Amino acid sequence: MSFAPTDDTITIDQLTRDPYSVYRRLRAEAPVVRVKSIGRTLLTKAADTRAVKDNPALFSNNDPNTPMKRAFQAHTLMRKDGAEHMRERMAMMPTFSPVNLKTIWGPAYEKHAAAYLDRLPRNEVVELFSTLAGPLAARILAEILGIPDATDEEMQFWSQALIDGAGNFGYADEPFKRVDGCHDAMNAMVESRVPLLKAEPDQSALSVMINADDPIEFSQVLANLKIAIGGGINEPRDSLLTVLFGLLTNPDQLEEIKRSGNWSAAFEEGLRWVAPIQASSRCANEDTQIRGIDIAKGEIIMTAQASANHDEELFEDGDKFNALRPKTTHQSFGSGPHHCMGTHLARLTIGKIMLPMIFERFPDMQLVEPEKVVWWGFGFRGPLSLPVRLN
Amino acid sequence: MPRLTFVSPDGNETTVEASTGDSVMQAALAGNVDGIVAECGGAMMCATCHVYVADDWAPKTGTPSDGERAMLDFAASEVKPTSRLSCQIAITDELDGLTVHLPDAQI
Ligand code: HEM
Ligand code: FES
Repeated sequence: MSFAPTDDTITIDQLTRDPYSVYRRLRAEAPVVRVKSIGRTLLTKAADTRAVKDNPALFSNNDPNTPMKRAFQAHTLMRKDGAEHMRERMAMMPTFSPVNLKTIWGPAYEKHAAAYLDRLPRNEVVELFSTLAGPLAARILAEILGIPDATDEEMQFWSQALIDGAGNFGYADEPFKRVDGCHDAMNAMVESRVPLLKAEPDQSALSVMINADDPIEFSQVLANLKIAIGGGINEPRDSLLTVLFGLLTNPDQLEEIKRSGNWSAAFEEGLRWVAPIQASSRCANEDTQIRGIDIAKGEIIMTAQASANHDEELFEDGDKFNALRPKTTHQSFGSGPHHCMGTHLARLTIGKIMLPMIFERFPDMQLVEPEKVVWWGFGFRGPLSLPVRLN
Repeated sequence: MPRLTFVSPDGNETTVEASTGDSVMQAALAGNVDGIVAECGGAMMCATCHVYVADDWAPKTGTPSDGERAMLDFAASEVKPTSRLSCQIAITDELDGLTVHLPDAQI
């Protein structure tokens, strides 16, 4: 028997401010480690994080101790396994089909992106976090989900409340109160759309789910729309800001990408460099071993894809943004049966539409005091601001 | 060990040695074959492991299940009668020599 070593030096504050230096040390010294402050077994090597997520029979998504169920007031598809998970996921999948992305959501995003860029003032300092990245992610998501009347502010407020509630491991009162307050508004918004979408179905997630031949329970329709609200704003927002930061602080790379037009490669590098969702947890269904270390049934494993994306076995100078690096695969969209449902949407809208569009409009965009940008977060991570000057 | 050949859209061939019991998708990943993405790790939930089975092999690999057929609708490239999700083809000794063609795109 050899159980994972325990590390009682790592603090949550450290993981929130500078997770990458902690992960670098752990990959070298203790790739399977019990971290006392988070009460979980942390995996930091790429091979291990992927193997756990690709083996749902052994590693379940149904972690019984997360505050997610309390925050969502439901057992969502993200925490289900096997046939039950597949049924609920397939209920929403048609919305995200390649043909819908190409003919509906891509053109819709293009239109909104142009309008949101038009609004940005020139020749003064503009905060892209709050004027572009957040609201635009909210706008396209509201349309895709089938609740276009929800405002950008509402969508962002709900999303953050769901995330804060689901991450409320200390079971503090405020985050649960705030998210409880959002459920009524979200439910009312969704319910008001049902009769309309029954009469005139479209390809939105709500419409596809309620008009299916064998629909899932309405409580699950609501719960899974909320998963998409919680999971569909921060990540596109943070990944856009991250890749803009990477390109603007590496002008030689930006020049080369402008020349080659390979914006998708820049986007993938931004995702690799700072994964918007840094870690995901799974629960061991049986006693097992990882890297020769015993894992007990019921143990909660935290797979740090953020660390996997910097693994020295796969990436040279992984801590540096390099949009020109040879093609390599990152794990920022997860893997296995729960891999991100919005993967292709994000690649299309940000990598293929937004990046070329913003640099065509503002070829001389400048970051204002890049050294003052603060990077923040352990579960979710991104820059807290991105002030630029447009001309 | 059965040998499998992957043919890319530009005609390049890669042959890998595979273990029986693995899926064609797993053999491709193990052999570093470009053009199989397999985001869902074989859970039949992504259609990024799409292949076209060579005509003369199609009878031996069998036909897709209903679930596989439904997921093939999400494939990024044209779906043809010989389309399969490679994670759903289990390798047997009978499939020694199997040739599959890779689509233009998986994403
Ligand atoms: C750059 C953007 C995005 C990133 C990096 C990202 C990342 C992720 C990751 C890592 C997971 C897996 C979590 C786990 O394994 O436990 C996930 C799941 C999910 N994502 Fe995304 N996401 C992005 C955008 C989106 C968007 C735009 C949507 C909705 C339109 C979305 C909807 C979902 C859903 C519904 C799931 C749950 C899938 C399941 O459990 O079966 N994501 N995402
Ligand atoms: S690997 Fe995802 S469907 Fe085959």
